[in-house]
Formats: sequence, C-alpha cells, structure tokens
Amino acid sequence: MPNLLPPQALWLNRGILGGFGLLLPGLIFLGIFLVVPLSVLFLRSVTDPIVGLENYIALLGDSSYARVLSNTFTVAALVTAISLVIGFPVAWLLAILPSRQARWLFAVILLSMWTNLLARTYGWMVLLQNTGVINRTLMGLGLVDAPLHLINNLTGVTIGMTYIMLPFVILPLYATISAIDPLIMQAAAICGAPPASVFGRVLLPLAWRGIGSASLMVFAMALGYFITPALLGGSANMMVAEMIAEYVQTLLQWGLGSAAAFILLAVTLGLYALYFRVFGLTQRI
Amino acid sequence: MLTRRKVMGSVALGAGALGLGIAPPRASADAGQLTFAGFGGTTQDAEKTAWADPFSAATGIQVIQDGPIDLGKIKAQVESGNVLWDVCDVQGPVAYLLARKGMLEPIDYSVVKREHLDPRFTFDYGVAAFGSSYVLGYNKDVIKDKEPHNWADLFDTRTFPGKRAVFKWMSGAPFEIALMADGVPADKLYPYDVERALAKWATIKKDIVWWSTGAQSQQLLASGETPIGMLWNGRIYALIQGGANVGLSWEQSTPGSDIMIVPKGSKHKAEAMKFLAVATSPKPQADFANATAFVPLNSESVPLLDKKLMPYMPFGKNTAAFPIDFQYLADNWESLAKRWYAWQTTA
Repeated sequence: MPNLLPPQALWLNRGILGGFGLLLPGLIFLGIFLVVPLSVLFLRSVTDPIVGLENYIALLGDSSYARVLSNTFTVAALVTAISLVIGFPVAWLLAILPSRQARWLFAVILLSMWTNLLARTYGWMVLLQNTGVINRTLMGLGLVDAPLHLINNLTGVTIGMTYIMLPFVILPLYATISAIDPLIMQAAAICGAPPASVFGRVLLPLAWRGIGSASLMVFAMALGYFITPALLGGSANMMVAEMIAEYVQTLLQWGLGSAAAFILLAVTLGLYALYFRVFGLTQRI
Repeated sequence: MLTRRKVMGSVALGAGALGLGIAPPRASADAGQLTFAGFGGTTQDAEKTAWADPFSAATGIQVIQDGPIDLGKIKAQVESGNVLWDVCDVQGPVAYLLARKGMLEPIDYSVVKREHLDPRFTFDYGVAAFGSSYVLGYNKDVIKDKEPHNWADLFDTRTFPGKRAVFKWMSGAPFEIALMADGVPADKLYPYDVERALAKWATIKKDIVWWSTGAQSQQLLASGETPIGMLWNGRIYALIQGGANVGLSWEQSTPGSDIMIVPKGSKHKAEAMKFLAVATSPKPQADFANATAFVPLNSESVPLLDKKLMPYMPFGKNTAAFPIDFQYLADNWESLAKRWYAWQTTA
C-alpha cells in the first residue's frame, strides 16, 4: 500500500498513525457527525427529565414498547426474507443475460430506485386502498365481493417495504454472482450433479457472503424505516421509528425518545455480533 | 501545465468563496418581518389571506408563511435559542402543554385587545386563533340510504359499514367521543372512565384509519376510503366547496380551538404581538371564518359572518356541543395521552 503514496505523503502511514493515516479524514468526519451527536443523544437519555436510568427502566417495562420493538424486528426479518427470495433470481438473471438485455433490466431497477421514496409509497397507497386500483379491478372482474384489506396492516407494510428494498438486494447480489466463474457450475454438472445440486451445493455456498451482506444491509435499513410503515401500516403494527417520532414530536419527551433509539441500537448491535459469528469477519474465499 | 498542486489550490479557493457566499443572513438584516407557522393546506391559505396580507398592508411588515407545525421543531428552536417561527398556530391543548413546559412568551395584552375574545381559549401565553369542532363527516356517495347523526353511529358498523377516519392524536377528544357514543350523559363525562372508552373504541379498532393531517382526512373522506369519520368542520366545508359529495352532523360535536403562541426567544416579539392584535380583531377573524367555516373567537365578528355559512358553523341548532372540562384535561393530559397512544399500538 505505501508504494502507491507519493513521497510527500508517506508520513501518513508511519509513526503513531500506523496504517490508519489514510483513514483520518473519514474517521474525523464520522467522529464529528456520528459519534458526537450519538453521545449527546445518549446523555439526554440518561439526564432528561432526571439523571439516572429512569427512561430505560420505564421503556423496558412498557408492554407497548415491547410490542412495537418485536413488530419492528418481525417486519424487518419478513421484508429481508421476501426480498432475498424475490431478489436472488433477478440478480442471477442479470448476471447471465447478454449485456443488451441486462442493460434494460438494470435501467428498470435503477429508475425505480431513483424515484422519490414518498412518491413510491403514495403510489402503493393508490394501488392498495379499498377504493384503490387493485381492489377496484378485482371487484370489477367479479373475483371478490368485498375489498381486500391490503393497506393499514402488515400486508401493506411488507409489500411497500419489500418493493423499496429490492434494488438494495439485487445490486449487491448481482455483483457477487457475476464474480462467480460459470465454469465451476459447468464442472459440477459434468461431474454428474443434477441442477438442484448445482444450485444448492455450488452456487449458493459461493454466493453465501453476498447473501449475508445484502440481508444485513436490508435488515438494518428496514429497522429504521419510518415513512413507509407510517403511511402503509396501521397503528397496531407500529414500528420503533414512528414511536420515537411520537415521543419527540408529540409528547415532547426527548429523554424517552433517545432511550428508545438506544435500546434499538443495542439490540441491533447484538444481532450484528451474532451475524459476524455466523458469517465470519474475515475473507474465506 | 495542470499539476496536482494547482488543482488543489483552485479547489480550496473555490470552497472558500462558496463558504463566504452561503454565510447565514445576519439577524439585523431581517428586522421588520416575521414568520408565521401553521398546519398548511386550505386553512393556512385562509390565514394568509385574512390575517397576514392585511397586516402586511397596514404595517409594512412582511409575513413569511412556514410549516407544518412540528412540536419537536418548536422545542428544538427554543432550546437552542435560534427561534425561527415567531407566531405559531397550534391546537388548543398543545398551547397549554407548551406553556407548562415554559416554552412560550407571555402575550402582551397592552397590544392585543382581549375584551371580546373567547375566555376559554385566551390565556397568559396564548391567544385564540379560531374555533374548530370535531364533527361527524360522511361520504354521501357511499352512505346513501340513512344519515348518521351522532357518535353512536360512528361505532355502528352494521348500519354504516366501512372504515372510519379517526384523528390519531389526543387533542381529538377521543375519550369524550367514545363515552358519549356509549351513552354517558354529557355532564358525567369527567373524570373519564378510561377503560370504558377504550373498550368502546376496541369494537371498531380494525376498521379505524388514523389520520394526522387535515389534508389526509379530507382525502380519506372524499375518496370514500373511509365513508364515515371524525373531521374538523372547516375541512369538510372546504370539501363541499370543492364539489365533493360529503355531509356532516353537528350533534355532539366536540368544541376545540387553535391557539396562536409565540415561542420563547422569538427574535421578532414586537412584530408578533402586533400581528396577533390584527389577527384577533373583528374583521380579520370574520374574513377567516367566512373563508373556512371555522368559528371566529372574537364575539364582535359574529355579526360580520356570511349568513350562507350558518349550516356549517356551530351556531343556532348546531350548538349541540357539550362543555369540555379544560382544567381536567390540562391536569391529566400527559398520562391520558400516553394511555391513548399505547392503546393504539395494541392489535
């Protein structure tokens, strides 16, 4: 690495800075704009309204917070799983299509990702409502008598969030799968493996790390989602972000809001630790 | 020749120039203006036309419209000392909450005349903006045969099937509505039988669609997504004016109000007080009421009201409202609100 630095800049990687000199700008940025605000937030959670762990004790004993927290993790896990199931075949297709057709598929996915989040969420509201497009079509065709409940419940939230998370699953998985040498799978087939085995015992293990990182990213994003669950979900499946917004914007109890955020952070970090145990921190392939 | 040093030098120069160019405006540069924050939509448009424009014409002080009201923002502004909103139109109970937390400037009643203002909604830290009632609204295209009349009909899913639009926040008098629907007489509402009210709400829980903004409530009712619900009377009036086929019932309507407040530390206090004096005087109040069918809280405005609006206002036969115990609400607000929001998260 030091060989690539110009002579004037070698000091960045020597001495007390060790090998981290090049990381300094990034670390300083994160330090000021991530670590400092988080510390201030944490301080508020233990000092507002009185000094102590009152807020945490109140929240951990609050059944509605427990419900909201479990809702959040359930929805996030569900969305991650469904996105993977839908996204993996699409990523695979992208990797093996000839480049002309792959470009069109790419364009569709990227365009949807670049469309404004709020516009997409409202689009789903128009589709899923009782008086929305889907229900009107089904009732008009005579397939159902009463409108299906597709919004303001778990169904609506899952559909909306999966739609938004799909590009974040497809693109990393595409990168992983396209890095896999197709000759390996050919070799497996030549050795006599049926297609199911080629998929399950060759492709999946090779793509495992990609699946792991994509699901981690989507899960973490889904945990903090606010707009889509607020608009497409009902109060009964409220997620943590909405509850924190309630504490901050309506009840003006910022200490509780901060504590709620930190409990979420703690649980998430715990899950990360678990993830690294399962998938490993270091390169294996 | 373009060397790395030259490029870095010019980038640094450019960044410096940009930094100077986007420096924040000095406070002294905007003396003689004030920022008014409201809830947006048809209501804020009327506030601008009826209050801000005459005020600017009379005093030359520019009024900047902003919003939507966000209590978290107000708290952040007051705590940081950088108050951007000089006058805020907030819901009545919220004004009392903010005053309790010491976040408001006292109203200068030597500038603002309070003799004819509704005493229920005028206090040391806030002055009455307009009265709004939660009324029963229904979509006439969907509910064709019978007309719903009172809150008991809101809970009657057999006669009036479909989803219900219900205001999400505590200031919507949810306990009063449920208790009255359950048959509690108006003079026995306080103190609340919280369990009874929540049990009543539970009977229609799966049909409730929660709304939190006026525009959202209008959209839900007009589209027929929620053929029946509780809405602000002025918002239903706006729908009817826009041609939507909706109706409303005034029986058991819950009287409420919006109150204007000045956050503590506002940089344009004097201008704000002058604005409040104009906004609460008879003609601007009447103009706002004529535009929105919300109630003017200056008793001298009533003769100036447009007679055509009477069916949409809580006067005459429409005063089937009941007396709200504001003191009880002020004392128990936080615990009741927590209970209400916690109940909303249950299945």
